[in-house]
Amino acid sequence: MNLYSPLLLAAEDAEHAADETSGIDLLLPRDVNEIIVGIIAFVVVFGFIWKVAGPALNEMLENRQKVIKADLEAAQAEKAQAASLKEDYASRLSGAREEATRIVEDARQAGESARADIVDRAETEAEEIKVRAQQELESERERAMTSMRREVAGLSIDVAEKLVGQNLDRDAQQGLVDQFIDELGSEG
Amino acid sequence: MELILASGECNTADEIICVPESVNELFENPFFHGVNRTMVLTGLVAVIVIGLLYFGIVRNKKRLVPSKFGAAIESLVLFVRDEIAVGIIGPELGLRYFPWLLSIFMFVLVGNLFEVMPLINFPVTARMWVIPAVLSLLTWVIFVVSGFKEQGFTYVKDIAWPPGVPVALKPLVGIIELVSTFLVRPFSLAVRLFANLVAGHVMLTLLLVSGWIFISAQGGLAKIPIGVGWLVVGLGIYAFEIIVAILQAYIFTLLSAVYVQTAVHPEH
Repeated sequence: MNLYSPLLLAAEDAEHAADETSGIDLLLPRDVNEIIVGIIAFVVVFGFIWKVAGPALNEMLENRQKVIKADLEAAQAEKAQAASLKEDYASRLSGAREEATRIVEDARQAGESARADIVDRAETEAEEIKVRAQQELESERERAMTSMRREVAGLSIDVAEKLVGQNLDRDAQQGLVDQFIDELGSEG
Repeated sequence: MELILASGECNTADEIICVPESVNELFENPFFHGVNRTMVLTGLVAVIVIGLLYFGIVRNKKRLVPSKFGAAIESLVLFVRDEIAVGIIGPELGLRYFPWLLSIFMFVLVGNLFEVMPLINFPVTARMWVIPAVLSLLTWVIFVVSGFKEQGFTYVKDIAWPPGVPVALKPLVGIIELVSTFLVRPFSLAVRLFANLVAGHVMLTLLLVSGWIFISAQGGLAKIPIGVGWLVVGLGIYAFEIIVAILQAYIFTLLSAVYVQTAVHPEH
């Protein structure tokens, strides 16, 4: 028996078996029941797809489309809301910044105004003090002059009494002294 | 392998290969004599297709995010709808023909895949009158009826006397078109599917049986490597046949859609 004898054997047997059905017979229907079962099976599948699977597919896709659309719309709305909030916060932030700037500016102006006010008041007070001091000085000087005049008059009378030896009337003496001083003042 | 398994009276101790008295014995059902294997497998195709669509689509219809299995079936179904029905026939008419095209695709696909399904290893689409011829005739009826419905008598007139062809050639082209449209199309559609699946099935059977014969044959170890070689080649072809099974289902559905499209949209 050569190496290929099993195959040859098989081929011969197969040829013998195929004698009964060969050629065009292979293409022709042998068992009508097979065709009927094939048609029924296909019709059942078609009916299932047409009435059950097809509508289920459409329903599934529609549901999914609806949910996705709703989710998209919700996301869109949330996005819009977030944008609005962001705008609001930005606006508030900007307002707060302006407010802060304004407060700082107001404070600066208030400080400036207070400083100017204090300086003005200080200057005024200083001027008043100065004027008051001047007045007091003038008044002191007046008082000193008056006092000095009296002292000088008194001394002068004393001197004159000693020199003249007569006792002059006090009022007349005083008048003479004043006249003398005035004359001294006008000469001076 | 099938030859060996098919014969119940075979004594494998004496015979290397057991050949049945008739090829038809291969299709006999050992449990019910009136219902042969082809009928059982055809029913099984319908059950599997319905099961796939039920668990993949119908039970998933409330779910927003489908399961992995549901997503796989859904992508298959949407492929037929968007790429074949709507893509070829058009958005409006395509959806009308979609259930029929999906039925064809799923039925032929599962029938083809029986070729490489362990414990079945028999494509029901390799039985000419069970699926290929029936579906081809159905397709023929549908596209002819659609053509008359959409165009009326112009449908046949434009095929027999094609516009845009020089007058001298019109009779010849018309005859060719008539034969091509009304005779060749259904025949080629059926034979293409049948022949591809029969060829694949026979090739697989021969390769795997050869491997088995050489490995189990008595008379020296020299035959074992040859048998292993045949088995390796057979397994390679096995993978190739999976592609063929899917491709043939796609081609059958695609051509059915194209035939309808040429019948309802003559301008294309």
